Amino acid sequence: MEKYTLIVTEKPDAAKRIAEALDLNGKPKKAEEKNVPYFLAQRDKPLVVVPALGHLYTVVHETGRRNYYPVFNFKWAPRYVAERGAKQVKAWIEVISKLAENADSFIDACDYDIEGAIIGYTLLKYACGNKENTATRMKYSTLTKEELEKSYSEQMPHLDFAMIEAGKTRHEVDWLYGVNISRALTLAANRYSGRYATLSTGRVQGPTLKFLVARERSINSFVPTPYWSFMAQVEIEGKKYPVDYQKRIIERKADADTVVEVCSGREGTIEKIEEKKMQITPPTPFDLGSLQSEAYSLFGYAPRRTGNIAERLYLDALISYPRTSSQKLPPIINYRAILNGLSQEPSYKKLALDLLGKEELRPREGSKEDPAHPAVYPTGNRPERVLDESERRIWDLVVRRFMAVFGEPSVKQSIRAAINVNGHYFYLRGRHVLKEGWMKYYKPYLRTEEVSLPPIKEGEPVQLEQIIREDKFTQPPPRYNPSSLLKRMEAEGIGTKATRADIIETLYSRKYIAEERIVVTDLGFDVIDVLRQHAPSVISVKLTRDLEQKMERIQSNSEKREKVLEEAVYRLKPVLTELKKHEMKIGEALSSALKRARVQERTIGECPSCHTGKLMILFSRRTKKRFIGCTNYFSKACRTSFPLPQGGTVKPAGRLCKGCGWPVLFVHVRGRRPWNLCFNPACPIKEERRKRLEMQGLQSRGSGTTTEQIL
Amino acid sequence: MRCRVCSREAQEQPQSKYCEPHQKAYETIQKKSEVWKKASSIEWKEYLKEVAKNPLTGMWAREVAESLLSEKE
Repeated sequence: MEKYTLIVTEKPDAAKRIAEALDLNGKPKKAEEKNVPYFLAQRDKPLVVVPALGHLYTVVHETGRRNYYPVFNFKWAPRYVAERGAKQVKAWIEVISKLAENADSFIDACDYDIEGAIIGYTLLKYACGNKENTATRMKYSTLTKEELEKSYSEQMPHLDFAMIEAGKTRHEVDWLYGVNISRALTLAANRYSGRYATLSTGRVQGPTLKFLVARERSINSFVPTPYWSFMAQVEIEGKKYPVDYQKRIIERKADADTVVEVCSGREGTIEKIEEKKMQITPPTPFDLGSLQSEAYSLFGYAPRRTGNIAERLYLDALISYPRTSSQKLPPIINYRAILNGLSQEPSYKKLALDLLGKEELRPREGSKEDPAHPAVYPTGNRPERVLDESERRIWDLVVRRFMAVFGEPSVKQSIRAAINVNGHYFYLRGRHVLKEGWMKYYKPYLRTEEVSLPPIKEGEPVQLEQIIREDKFTQPPPRYNPSSLLKRMEAEGIGTKATRADIIETLYSRKYIAEERIVVTDLGFDVIDVLRQHAPSVISVKLTRDLEQKMERIQSNSEKREKVLEEAVYRLKPVLTELKKHEMKIGEALSSALKRARVQERTIGECPSCHTGKLMILFSRRTKKRFIGCTNYFSKACRTSFPLPQGGTVKPAGRLCKGCGWPVLFVHVRGRRPWNLCFNPACPIKEERRKRLEMQGLQSRGSGTTTEQIL
Repeated sequence: MRCRVCSREAQEQPQSKYCEPHQKAYETIQKKSEVWKKASSIEWKEYLKEVAKNPLTGMWAREVAESLLSEKE
């Protein structure tokens, strides 16, 4: 068999695109073995492009049992060794190893970042038989044909070993922290209560949960302060306009009453009209964090969702590599070619041509840089398939932001007229856009409101039509949402652009936090209390950031991996000794938190009959069936009960039924689509549905069709 | 000693009638009472009632306010 070059990629979609771009006819042959796809292409020589499935190798405990700590000896091993759900990885590695046997050269074409570097390195080293030192590297930021061809012809002579070292260290340090502290917590709870439940924390997870607990504490201890303001209106030429009082906040009720008393129904005079022009510079290009944040505020997408959508758009060669922290758009990406491409899309044609008409295209850039990739930008390609709504939205956002950064500054005008009413000043405000500039490209996503004013002159009398005192209170600190939490993590310098969104999801899945506007659960509080008391360094933001910076320095060759690992172990050892010493006390605290969490998980709400008990998901030892019952059920004080489906999982959905206001349950039976269930037998929605079905039944009988046929 | 609100262990240093979270809420209640007095000229008990019924009051602060009200009664 003729020898070939084996190109390893990160995902199947990327492998397909690379094979299509490099094949001379653009039509590589698809092959498959053990359900693992790979592509055969022909260029200057035969190429085989094989994908990984994300990480195929991971850090595992070198030897020994799972249920003890501390553990400091580790090795890299196939993921199926460590994870029960990763069986398909075995076939994947076997196929890659087999393909490697007939290859005479190797190219790493995984994404150019820390995770991609590790995926490619471990594959070449372990699956391909120590080919990491002879392999070359393709570096690209988009999966367009032009860029892939260029990166193939201008391959880097070797892998980026500094990036690999940084990636390995990050995985190994995270493993050391995650495994040891999580085992310490899990075993403490297990040994105290005899019940098993996974309790986890990690190097970044702990400090992140600490922010949330600190915010929750402030909210829970919050006492609002009263203050007063006014809702006032003036009348000009028969039309009413809202005006603001000179002070936004009045701290004493008596002072607010005085203002109402002396100004009510009075005529005032326009004393001064001030006009201001403001130049608003275009926004900066998107890095991953700002894209996630904008998508959250505009569409309500959680950061991880935006990350996944952006990843799909990247694999479709519609946008550049999204996991970037850069806010720079270097000229090498070819602005004009991208705009030319976008001008083929009817909805962007006018805007793109408008920019192409400019003599010089210079983007506004932000300060953040990323050595591996530029900011997120559209490739100029048009979708080859129908994008779903969320994909379309994110693509549109990236396209419009890209165009906006080349726009002129916009100019806004604000007008403020000061009206003197009996010695008190009220301000009439207007604002409008004088020059659209970059705003025309980003229009659908702007939140500006135009306020027009009537023609007014200084010295004119104006009637204060209405003044109402408004009683207000200061608000508690806002709860974090996934987007604001991600921003905080970024600002604190903990985690990486690739891991932050996943860490937030882990906090949800461990039940340390709940809801969209994040609420810390009792379990979350108790985990942080335990760590604060016995392992404060594990949740220290400063120490975490410090370690983070050291790992970053490995990438620039100014720090050694061994030194960082040694330091991590040195820091962990006393923490683990302390945790072991207080194991029973920690176990007691965590077990009771887990117990409370389990009860909370089954609690549905107040009993509608007795109003003293709570409705819970209960289990009857006699019938061996689960049902909803009042907590007073077994004491026979309240016999309220409702039947439940016996298969699958049932839990409170955390919302109320639109028809009757009773709590709704979430039911998930394996193999079926999950559904929401209102357990109120007298729910009007159920009644309506029943009547509708009856009507349908009658109609079908009338027309000679049977219900079975309708169903 | 147990916390008057939730029966958890009360804070030892400084000695308190409350556990750590409720102690923090108690301190906020005390600190804010002066601001309320200046703003609305209301007395301590009236202030506690207002705090207890305000939907913006935090959970721990409300529990402490309710506990203080029941103590006075």
